[in-house]
Amino acid sequence: MGYKLEREKTELTPYVLIDEESGLMKFEGESYHENIFEFFKEIREWLTEYLKTDFDAFTFDCELKYFNSSTVKVLLGMLLEMDSCDNCDKITVNWITTKNNRIIIECGEDFEEDVENLTFNLIAN
Amino acid sequence: MFDVMEYHKKLRESNITLVYSGPLWAEGIGGFATTLKKRLEFDNLPLETAQEVFSVFVEQMNNMLMYSAEREYFAADEMHSEAPKGTFIMGVRGSQYFIQTGNMVADKTVNFLKEKIDYLNTLDRKELRQYYKQQRLENDNPDSKGAGLGFIEIARRVSSKIEYTFTPYEDGYTFFTLFATIGGEE
Repeated sequence: MGYKLEREKTELTPYVLIDEESGLMKFEGESYHENIFEFFKEIREWLTEYLKTDFDAFTFDCELKYFNSSTVKVLLGMLLEMDSCDNCDKITVNWITTKNNRIIIECGEDFEEDVENLTFNLIAN
Repeated sequence: MFDVMEYHKKLRESNITLVYSGPLWAEGIGGFATTLKKRLEFDNLPLETAQEVFSVFVEQMNNMLMYSAEREYFAADEMHSEAPKGTFIMGVRGSQYFIQTGNMVADKTVNFLKEKIDYLNTLDRKELRQYYKQQRLENDNPDSKGAGLGFIEIARRVSSKIEYTFTPYEDGYTFFTLFATIGGEE
């Protein structure tokens, strides 16, 4: 049995789903807790270990509507970690937002430029 | 007695629609954020303007949390925890929103804040995006709490330069106010 984590969203923190068995990590909602590093600590620790394993495929669906600048640092840290791991070519990041969400689209575009090896899809519906 | 009517009148005359003054802590900010979102919904703003207003609110609350030198102690709390204090004001003039905040800072942080804002005010939108992108990469250190990025984020969302005042308050402390306008004519 692989690691599994599900956290309900709150006013300040996003919905989080991690299902190691199906190779999925998903964030949804909003993220602007003043101490967001603490919120993501366990997730980042899991990710670091997971990225060292020999997984077949890993998908990260990021569907955040709004997040603060501290969250940007957390997301960037995770993306760079994914991008530099041995299995980086097996990773797909889906940056999901809506057409009218310019702030999130711009942020996605900037992230897309930061990564080189993983597949980054910017999806604005 | 504190003159509530005078206060009420003043807020109305100044087109101020929302005020918060007190301790700043995550859960408290969350509660006030709900109120602010409702307010923006009532105003039926375009998503982008609503997000810009919300973003300036979040980042400036966070800045106050970091730099406010005035603390409130929670007497009922056995842990004797404390929270920084600050004041947040939002108003509307036509299609333009304004956000004003005030908090006490230690004299020694004045120059740091001034230089930071002055520099951001020299950059245009494109340069701000580039600067933000670069600063994001600077350090992924939990202790920095994203320090610095917050002001850049604010500068990216405002429709004119960030204005501020620093007024000597009491020994060793200065009162810092920040004024930002969002939306409306560019």
